[in-house]
Order: sequence, then C-alpha cells, then structure tokens
Amino acid sequence: MLPLLVSVALFLVWPIVEAIRLSFVRYNPLRPDDQPFVWFDNYLFVLEDPLFWESFRQALVWTGISTLAQAVIGVGLALLLHQPLRGINAFRGLLLFPYIVPTVVIALNWRWLFNAEIGIVNHLLLSAGIISERVAWLSTPDMAMASAILLNVWKYTPFVVIVVLARLQTIPTELYDAAKVDGAGAIRRFRDITLPQLAEVLAVVVVFRTIWTFNKFEEIYLLTRGGPGTSTYNLALYAFDQAMANLRMGVGAASGVIMLGLLLAGSLLYIRLTGFGREDRAA
Amino acid sequence: MTDVAIRGLSKSFGTNRVLKALDLTVPSRQFVTLLGPSGCGKTTLLRLIAGLEQPTEGEIRFGERRVDGLPPGERNIAMVFQSYALYPTMDVARNIGYGLEVRGTPKAERRERVGAVAKVLEILHLLGRKPRELSGGQRQRVALGRAMVRKPDIFLMDEPLSNLDAKLRAAMRGELRRFHLDLGTTTIYVTHDQLEAMTMSDLVVVMNEGVVQQIGTPEEVYARPANLFVAGFIGTPPMNLIPARNEGGRVTVEGHPLPVAAPAGAPAELILGIRPQDVSMATPGEPGTIPGKVWMVELIGSERLIEVEIAPKVRVTAEVRASHRAALDDAVAVRLDPAQIHLFDPASGQALPREAVREVGARPA
Repeated sequence: MLPLLVSVALFLVWPIVEAIRLSFVRYNPLRPDDQPFVWFDNYLFVLEDPLFWESFRQALVWTGISTLAQAVIGVGLALLLHQPLRGINAFRGLLLFPYIVPTVVIALNWRWLFNAEIGIVNHLLLSAGIISERVAWLSTPDMAMASAILLNVWKYTPFVVIVVLARLQTIPTELYDAAKVDGAGAIRRFRDITLPQLAEVLAVVVVFRTIWTFNKFEEIYLLTRGGPGTSTYNLALYAFDQAMANLRMGVGAASGVIMLGLLLAGSLLYIRLTGFGREDRAA
Repeated sequence: MTDVAIRGLSKSFGTNRVLKALDLTVPSRQFVTLLGPSGCGKTTLLRLIAGLEQPTEGEIRFGERRVDGLPPGERNIAMVFQSYALYPTMDVARNIGYGLEVRGTPKAERRERVGAVAKVLEILHLLGRKPRELSGGQRQRVALGRAMVRKPDIFLMDEPLSNLDAKLRAAMRGELRRFHLDLGTTTIYVTHDQLEAMTMSDLVVVMNEGVVQQIGTPEEVYARPANLFVAGFIGTPPMNLIPARNEGGRVTVEGHPLPVAAPAGAPAELILGIRPQDVSMATPGEPGTIPGKVWMVELIGSERLIEVEIAPKVRVTAEVRASHRAALDDAVAVRLDPAQIHLFDPASGQALPREAVREVGARPA
C-alpha cells in the first residue's frame, strides 16, 4: 500500500497540484525569483485570447474526426482480422507496426511523402490521373489539418483494433450459431450480437482515444508546427507556445488546467451517456 | 411431421474424417438420441443436420425436401446449445422471440406467442430479465422456450443438460421427455450420458469414430449389443468382456466348460460378454462355475461389486447385494447366467447371432 501511495503522490498528485499552483502565479523562467500571485489573471488572459479559441475549435475537429475514424476503421479491421484464415496471425502482428514506430520517425517520413514538390503521394496521384495538379498537403490550412488527422488515424487505429479484436475473440461462437438457426443474416448478426457486445469496450476505447488525441502534441508539432499560420494549433500546442515561446509559464499552466477540466467533464458525460458499467451493477 | 433421412454423409476437417459415409433415418415424431464418447462425431452430425457445417459428401433430407446446402435459417429447425447460447444483451422475452423478430412476425403476435411459451415453461415472471440474472435451470428453460416458440419441424439438442447440477438434471430429463410427448416434434438429442439416452429416447443411435455402431430402442441396445463397442459402452458398471474358446461347439472360459453352446460356424477364439448383474457368487467346485480369487471389493450403495480374478489379468465383476461379504484373496467361484451371455467374434468385434446361443446341460468338469 505504501509504495502505491508514494508513487501516486509523487507522479500524479504533485504534478497536478503544481500545475494548478503555477496557473495562479506569473512566472517567467528568466526571472525565477519573481512569482507574484495573480489570482485568475492567467485564466482571463487565456479566455480573452482569440488564439485560444481558435486552437480549441481546431482541437475539437482534430480530436473528433481522429477518434471517429479510428473507431470505425478499427472495428472494421478487427472484424476482418477476426476471420479464421490461414496466416491471419501474420497480419495481426504486422498491424502493430504503426504503433511501434516512434512518432518522430513517422512524422519526418510523412513530411517527405506529403511534400508538394518531391513527395511520392503527389507523384502517385498525378501518375494515376486522380489529381491534375500538385496538392499542397501541408501548406494549406484544411489540407494540413487533414494530413495531421490522417497521420494520427494511421498510427493509433491499431490500438482500437487490438482492443476490439480481443473482445471479439471472447464472444462465444455458439451465439452466432444460435442466431443463424434463428434465421439472422450476417448484417443482423453484426447488429444484434457483435455490436451490443462491443458497446462497452468501444466506450472505453473512445474515452481513451479522445483524451490522448485531445492532449496530443508531438504529431502536430513535428508535422506542421501548428502551421500554416496557426491553422493546426490545438490546445496542447497553444499551451506549449505560451509557456515555451512566450515564456508565460502561468498562462501555459492555466490552459493545461482548462484542458484537464474539459476532459474530465467530457469523459464523465460520455460514460454516463453510454451507460458503461451499468450492466455489471445490475447483475 | 418430418422424418430425417441421411444418406452417405461424410465430413472431414482437413485430413481428419469425422463422419464416414453415415446412413441414418430418424422417424417422424420420435425422440432419437445420438450417444457416444467424446470425439465420436455426434455433435458434428447434429451441426450438419442444423446446417452449421457443410457436409463433404452425402445428402440430408427432411421429409421430401433436400436440405443440405440450405442455410440453417431456412431449414425450420430449432436448436438448444450446450451453453444455451442466450443473447446476453437481450432480455428473456426478446431472446425467446428473436427468431420470430428476424422472420418479421408482427409485434403483437410475437408477444402473444412468447407469452404462451413462457407460461408453459413457467418463466412468465422472468421475461424482463437479462440472461446473466438467471440461474442455470432458468437459462435452460429460456433456451427451450426459444426453440419451442417457432414451432419448428425438428428440435436439435446438443447436450443441453450437461451444465446443470445432478438433481436439476434428473428433473429436466423428465420435463424434456414430457415436452416431447406433448409437442410430438421430431427430436435429435446429442449426449455422452447413457442414462439420459436410456431414460428419454425412443431410439438410441450409438456412435463411435464417425460410424453408427447400432440403432435400436434403449432396451435393444442394452439387452442385445450389436458389437463389442456397444457392449462395453452401454451399461453401468460396464459389461465383463473376457476371452473364451469354442471347443467343439461348447463354450469354455480358462478351460472351464460353461452350460452354453457356441453357434454353428463360430470361430475357435471368442469373447464372452456378461453384465455384472448376471454374475453370481458360488462355492468353488460347483459344476458350471469358474473358480478364482477375490481381487477387489467395492460398495456402491445397495449393491457390492466383487471383482474375481479367474486367471492372471482376467477378471470378472459380479454385482451382488451389499449384505454379501467377501474378503480379498478369498477362494471363490463365479456363476454366469447362461441366458444372459453374449458372444462376440474377436476379429470383427460383431456379436454372434443371439438365437444360436443355446443353453446346454452342464457336464461335470
């Protein structure tokens, strides 16, 4: 019990308390001895900053589309990989690949792939006749956001696949046999048996993916640095920008605390809506 | 009503031949049990009849209609699974009515039919519950309800009682039999439990290694086993199977002549089968008995099993009253009831014609 308490206090409670403390002081790292207590000035600064609201909107787009795409593609791939085919285990293993490669490697590769002038993506699409002129993947606002989302979906869909596949493998095959005898076709079997059984695990996956994507920093930073302009800023980039580029540690901490509050409220609401854990309580 | 005709049915999984050119007719309205040890192919046969597996060869007909090739939903069958396979996210009413729902039965009619079945099964008060809130016996009833509600041509049951405790199993055996008599639906029931097969069936199909060994009423497979497998598989405690010889038309065991004549054309080497209930204890030296030593004594409630070694490694078990006392290594003798002796050809394993096993007068040993 003691090791648990110590590690929780050291690595969980203290950083949060420190972040909250920091959000109430003005702290410029160049003048570390001068930390006046400023009440809610940092929060007011954040809430009055148009860039915060722009970043917030972009964070919602970034998180919403990424999570939805990961959930849908993840379930689809998991269903495919659940088929009892010869050699399927090789594919199940390969699937982990995007998840294993470090983000910095992926981001740098993607910047080459998506380079408007010399990237292979434009080259292939042009050769195939799908596009007639080069697409500026990373240097127009919409395309930059789409590319960042694509990268995130590519890298983290395997997580969804693994979790969903694990759940699929625990659904007794007799249930499908019973449904076949009852006359249910493949679509009805998916809707009435598979999907309800996946509901709980999907609730968990969506919460995790939402939290992790909302807080994601390195993919956007490495791929677009928030650009072009500020068109791919999310709140993590905003907080980093305030703290590290503008040396406003207090403001950075305040935006971090706001993110914490948003995620906490959002997760609780979502879990309530999906009824996660209700079945267990009923039993 | 529908009979089931199976012709030349084979099923292989890879190189493993699970069913070997099987022929079987299940008469209409009968309760037929597929009985055999694990891996004998009985569940595979049931799944082929259900349409959950595709045969490698052969055909299956329900009445005049050829069904192999049809999906399970178009065969108008109902199946009860070993694990019951209730849909965990649906309540009991929807579980029972799901087959009707899939077939587009109107909601009002569905509710009425589910209610009627639930009433028969005495589960009306459970209709709103989820399967996880039910006991094993209640789940069993819901599974039965789901099978009954569609008024299928054929009921298929895959060891439906094996997950129940012993007491409940005995009660459900009676109920299943009762439902069958009431509904009169052709039923194919898979079990490895010979007690279930004996108590519930009109016909028992004994299977081993993908081949039908014998088809008959419970009385027939018990009293007249067709071969060594059936003889050894049916009956508790199992039948004694001991080597015997045909010496000039007379059956002898370890050189002791028995008051039984071998049928004409019987081979010189025989296997003699006799149930422990048909073996009695005797005093050594009495004519027609086989002497030996008591090797093991077991009390099984009202009876006692006495295992007598009549030759090295050759033992005969007698089931006698519990009041009969015997000590290990006592010199005793066993008497085999001549009318209950079965003779088998050790080469083919087949039973020799029973009519020919005649009793002959004992002659002094």
